[in-house]
Order: sequence, then structure tokens, then C-alpha cells
Amino acid sequence: MDGKSSSQIRVVVTGVGVVSSAGRTAGQFWRTLTGVLSASTFQSLSDNLDIATTRTPGAADFAGSIDDFCDLPDAQRKAIRKALKLMNRETQMGVAAGQQALADSGIAGQYDPDRLGICFGADNVSIMPDDFQRGIEACSSAAGHFDVDRWGQDGIEEVAPLWLLKCLPNMPACHLAIINDLRGPGNTITQRDVSANMAVAEACRSIRSEAADAVLVGATGTTLTTFNRLHARYEDEISECDGVCRPFDRSRTGSVPGEGAGAIVLEEMHCALRRGATIYGEVLGAASASAVGLDRMIACRTAMGSAMRQTLRRSGQSAASIGHIHAHGLGTRESDLAEAQAIRDIFGDLTSTTPVIAAKGHLGNAAAGSGAMELIASLLALKHGHLFPILHFRDADPECRVHPVTRFDEPAGTSFLNVNMFGRGLASCVAVAAFSA
Amino acid sequence: MQRRIVVTGIGCVTPLGNSQEELAAGLYSGRIGIGRLTLFDASNFPVRIAAEVRNWDPGTAGLEARRWQHCPRQTQFAIAAGLQAVRQSGIDDAVFDRERLGVYLGCGEPFEDFNAFTRSVHASMKSDGGAAIPFMNSALQIFDPNVEREAEPDMPAIHLGGLLNARGPIANCISACVSSTQAIGESMRMIQQGEVDMMLCGGAHSTIHPFGVTGFQRLSALSQRNDDPQSAVRPFDADRDGFVIGEGAGLFIIEERDHALRRGAEILGEITGYGSAQDAYRVTDSHPQGRGTASAIMRALASAKLNPQDIGYINAHGTGTVLNDKVETLAIKQAFGQQAYRIPVSSTKSMLGHATTACGAIELAVCLISLQTGVIPPTLNHEKADPDCDLDYVPRNAREVSCRHVLTNNIGFGGQNAALIVSRYEEGSRTRVAVARAA
Repeated sequence: MDGKSSSQIRVVVTGVGVVSSAGRTAGQFWRTLTGVLSASTFQSLSDNLDIATTRTPGAADFAGSIDDFCDLPDAQRKAIRKALKLMNRETQMGVAAGQQALADSGIAGQYDPDRLGICFGADNVSIMPDDFQRGIEACSSAAGHFDVDRWGQDGIEEVAPLWLLKCLPNMPACHLAIINDLRGPGNTITQRDVSANMAVAEACRSIRSEAADAVLVGATGTTLTTFNRLHARYEDEISECDGVCRPFDRSRTGSVPGEGAGAIVLEEMHCALRRGATIYGEVLGAASASAVGLDRMIACRTAMGSAMRQTLRRSGQSAASIGHIHAHGLGTRESDLAEAQAIRDIFGDLTSTTPVIAAKGHLGNAAAGSGAMELIASLLALKHGHLFPILHFRDADPECRVHPVTRFDEPAGTSFLNVNMFGRGLASCVAVAAFSA
Repeated sequence: MQRRIVVTGIGCVTPLGNSQEELAAGLYSGRIGIGRLTLFDASNFPVRIAAEVRNWDPGTAGLEARRWQHCPRQTQFAIAAGLQAVRQSGIDDAVFDRERLGVYLGCGEPFEDFNAFTRSVHASMKSDGGAAIPFMNSALQIFDPNVEREAEPDMPAIHLGGLLNARGPIANCISACVSSTQAIGESMRMIQQGEVDMMLCGGAHSTIHPFGVTGFQRLSALSQRNDDPQSAVRPFDADRDGFVIGEGAGLFIIEERDHALRRGAEILGEITGYGSAQDAYRVTDSHPQGRGTASAIMRALASAKLNPQDIGYINAHGTGTVLNDKVETLAIKQAFGQQAYRIPVSSTKSMLGHATTACGAIELAVCLISLQTGVIPPTLNHEKADPDCDLDYVPRNAREVSCRHVLTNNIGFGGQNAALIVSRYEEGSRTRVAVARAA
């Protein structure tokens, strides 16, 4: 690659992996999105309190046991089994998705480990009440009175020695690097819902600056833990009614908590071609933008419009060349409206014909993990040539003047934008096209 | 030709002072910012010492106290340091495309309210049924939503993006103790690849909290020298026994060189090299030969197109744990060969404690100060030689060393490593180096 400018270095996707409420392999995931498998994997939460989420899409099939990881060589299976007790749920899902993506790409043994990087997106990890119960018990009197002032003397020693390491958001990336001997650059972006696309952008930067030849990229997240749900409540993002996420629907009522992870392998194009890798698509460009401080709706609309516009420019694409948009599609009144307006700002008259999909109808809101799963849904749509309907979308909202997909045979086109946003006025976008040498 | 990245603003909040000038004065006078832990009642904790930002008052730091009252200390530190950097850079008066300005920080996890958390857990334990409902019922009553909303690692970056009216990317990364180093390095790449012209970058953190002491104590990472806090952090010393938790922030305005020159900004240094590497060994320990650390250093040298003999000073991670200092020494020797013995290496954690995710940014500020003054800070408490640590660690006193390129290195839990090289700015010099090497 000597002598090439960074903009001439092309980056392709050669592997995908996913752990989600719509399946814990990419194959199951696609079959669920396209209606072959039932999407009724919602699980009841007995502790729903007055947070009105009677049903919620958790990755119910993923119990976090070693058998939930893909087929692994013995050494890796042993390493993961040993490390499982150090992994919280987000880390387990992230590692499982990452292992699938690496296996799918067939990249093992193909590179000098120093040339293999990793970049993940993750959320702030909640401190789990269970981890502190023994310590609190030790600080409680026989009558059951808890004395916080005894913590330093009696509580600390009851906490698991490696507890802190379970709580670090960078652990999915660290475990994956250790298990797979990835010694190139590594990082974890903790920018909530926009993290996944930012991780893709950062990985592309690493490849374009020749710091790595291939990078495992992914994101993992949950909004199902007690603390996540507490925070979601503070942010007023929980559905007020029946726990169904209906992106862009006239009767949408809010987002639904969820969980999941997705991972892809990105490679420098010539390296991928030389080893005969199957190529899902090419990352043409990416951008993120912000407009913090403006009114929430205007901030989201502005940031999202800016991220899409800059992504198109960096990708050398026009709105007319984009086959579909994978929207953030949170399912809240405000977020979907701001997003629809932003799409119209950039796509103009093409908005009425450019298909918009949103997998959150199936997946709920898995925070940082959503962006990666949505990117994979669109990569699979490119591969199969068609899209999937937005689950639970019934009636168009006259205010959201976009073209939500309602059919299984709607063509995916040859390129797409994957868009995510965070309600304070942050957006990220990635443009991907079917690969053509 | 590759775009060059220069520093035009520096801001810092540290246990030695809350400006560049105070930090420099503290470093050169050999002051140690470590003392009794006062931010919470640690009287019956096994560790009762910390490197605190003493007498922190958002008001005197130029912040409107009411506006930031619900924010954790790290957010307040980041805002104060960010505004210092912005003021020095002069960009607050400049006219430029706001989409070309972004924010990328490596701020750590703000911890939950310890009392409210433990009380809620206790409430949940008294219940016969599931734990989640009583926990949530208690939490909803006693947690302060205004505080909780701010308890996210990306809030400093989001607030600063709003204050600066930045319309470019806003990001936070967490890669343990290399977070802010990586945030600066990745910001450099964003500018190099033409995505933006300017970034506010760095990091802030405070782990001086019951959760922080609990976590690091259980990892056996902390010095137990409660009775002598001033000598607690002993980087590379034979009697070292761990680090002392600290806090602070280091933030910078970095920008494309021509952009800075066009607006007449004063250039404080040039960021010339960045390397990131994973040990891929264990989540708990560094690789015994320091392979990831050595790789990050060598990658930083390669990206700066510099040779080992070009580096005049290394600001080491130097936490003062038995393993870190040994492994880091090995890695420096691996990366620099025989030259390692000729380069002064110091750890300013002996004075500043360990600001965890923010340490790399604060140490970059130390490096920039060293370039400007021609004086490098010492490693304090380095008194007894350790055969595993046999480099020149600049013991006791600051030293006059006029150097052109300095390297700062960081190592994080999980096996993450990152290094940055910052150089004295010389117009045209980078081009000459590149031409000379090509010839």
C-alpha cells in the first residue's frame, strides 16, 4: 500500500456476527427479519414496575454459556469458558458476536497478529447490585440494619477480586483481542447509540493510516439491566403503553428496552482479495456530527442531516445513488419525526422513493449494540437483494414523510446509509455499497 | 503531503494545580500532590490516601457553579480544563466552519452514589421475592435524577461540544488508563485524514470514590503507605508497592498546522506520533515482556518517522506497581535498544498520583511544558535501585534537557497500550526530515 493516500485505500466487510432477540447467528437473524422465523421472542419481565414495558426483546436464546458461542477451536473454547466469569452480559454478547464475525471471515491465521486491530462500541457498564450483596451483608447487624460506615472495614473484602474488570466497557475488545491474538490498535468508543458507526469510522481510519490491515469492529449494549432502566426512565425514552416499538408509525409510543451485539470484520481491499475472502460490501465513507445545545428536535435533525450529508460527500455518492436508509427508528414521537425531517432535508424529493428500514421494531433499543446489529441487517439485505418490513409498522404518520418498508420484496439497492443518533444532538452515519472491484 | 497537527491550547486541572503554570511550578519544585483522602470518610478503609484536586471550587475555576452542580467532579474538571485550552488557543474569537471542530475525550466511568446504591441493594436483599423491584423502588426514591443523568462518561464531551458550538464529531472512548492518550491520537488521525480541522481532545477522571477504592484495592493495585502519603508512589524504586488513586483533567486544542497559522495562533508543540497496540495476553496482567507496550512505542516512532535517538525524554506510565514498572522498562528497552539507557525517563505519577483514564492527557501536558521550558520533571521517591528497572529515571531533581521530541507512554488494564510523540514546533522541519529519510 506504500505511496497510496489514505483516501485511495479501500475497506471491505468480510465477516458478520450477531447476538440478538432475532437470533444468535447471522442466519437466524436474517430469517427472523424476513419473517421465515417467528419474531415472537419477546420475554415477559416480572419486574416491570410502573415502567410500562410488559414485553421486551431480550436475546432470550443467549444464556451466556459456552455452547452459545459459535463453533470454536478447542483452545479458544477453553479460553472463553475460563473467562466467562469475568464477563458481564454485554461482554459475553460482544465476544460471541465477534467470534462469529471472525469465523465467518475465515481470517484466522491469515495475518501477522500485529496487523489485526479491534474497535468496539459499548455503553457505560452498570454496577450490578448482586456484586455487592455479600459485602452489604457483612456490614449489616444481626437485626438486618445496614451500616454503610462499616464498608471499608467489612465490605470491601467481600467483593470479588476482579469485580472492577467486569465493569469496564472496554472488556469486549480486550477479551476478543486476547482470545484471537489481535495485537494491532485497539479502542472502545462509549458514545451511546452513535458508537457503532463511530467504531466503523475509526477502524477505517486505522486501515487507511496503515496501522492495521484488518480490524474487528462491533458494538454491544443493553437497556435491560436495572440501572439502564432507571436511567432510561430519567431520559423519558420508555414506551408508555404496550411495550411495542413501532418506528415511524402514526401510533408509535416510544422505545422498548432491548439488548444485543453485532460485529463485522473490516479489511483492506487488496488483502481481502488476495486471500479470496467473501466480501459483503465496501465501506465508502462515514461521518458523525453534533448540534448539542439546540432544542432537542432541532439538534437531532441538524446533527443527523449533517452526518448524512458529510457521509455522502466523503463517499462520492449522491442521494440518488443510495439504495436504502437504515434509520435509527427509535420509535419515539420526537426522535422519528426529527429523523424523518433530516432525511427529507438531505434526500429532498427522493425521500418518497428511498426505502427506509428500522430493525428496532424487531430488536428494541440495545443502546450501543443497536447500530452494529442494524448495520448487519442492511449488509444481509445487500447480500440477499431485498429488504424486510418494519415490524409493527401499520399506518404511515403524515408528519414522518419518509418511505417505510412494508414488503419483503422491496429491493435493497446496491448501497445504503446506516444512521444512528443520540437524543442530545449527536448522529453518526456510514455508507456501504455492494462490492465491485 | 500529510497534514501536520499542532497544539494551540492546553488546559489542566491536577493535584498540583489548576493551570499549566501551577502544574509546571509544582513539578519543578518537587511538590507531591498526594495526601490524606478527604472526599469521603475513608477512616476505616484499607487505603486512606489519594491525589486529590484540593479545594476544588468550580466558581474559582471560572465555571458557573449552579449550572454544573449536578455534574461529577470529572465533568467539572473537563469543562474547566477545556475552557482553559479554548482561551489559550483563541478559537473562541475565531470565525470558522463549526462542522470542522469536534470533541474527543477519554473520560472514565463516573460512579453511582455509593450510599444510595448500597441502601437500595440492602432494601432489595430484605425482600423475599425478586430483587429488582425493591431495588428500583428504593433507587427511584433516593437517587437524584439530576445527578444520575450526568453520571455518564460521555457527558463531559457532550457539554463541551455544546459550549463550543462544535458541529463535528463528539466522542468518548474508554480503554482504561490509555483512554485519553487514545482520544488525542485518534483526534490527530481525524485531522490528518481531513475529516476536521480542529479537535478539543484529552480526558478527565476521578476514581476517588468508595467504588474506586474498592475496585483497585481488590485488584491489589494500591499502595498501602497510609502513614506516609508523600512517599507512597515510588515508580521504578525497589520498594514500590502500588499506585495512589488520583483525579484531574488534561484537554487540548489541536489543529491542522496551516489552519493554526492562518488564524495567527501561537503553536505550543506538534503532535507527530501515535501508536496503539494490544498485548493480547491477559485482562489482569501486562504481557511479561511488554510486547504491546513496545509495539505502541515503535508504532508511534514509525508514524512520526523518527528514530530512537531522536527522542530526548520519555514520560513513562510508571504507576509504581511492581509489575508495571518492570514490564514498562523491558518494553522501553525493546523499543529503543541500547539507546534506552541514554534517554531520561521519568514518572510524574510520583507527584500526581494516577488519574486513570485522564493520566495520558495530563502527562502530555507535562511533556509540552517540558518542551517549552527545556526542563524535565523528576521521578520522586526513586531512591533504591531495582535490578529490573535499570534506566535513567531522573531521580529527585528536575533536569535541564533541551530536547526536540518527547514521548509519553501509557498502559491499561486489559492489555491496552498507547504512546504519543510531541515535538517542538519548527516550521518546515517535518518536510526536511521526510526528505532526508527518503534520500
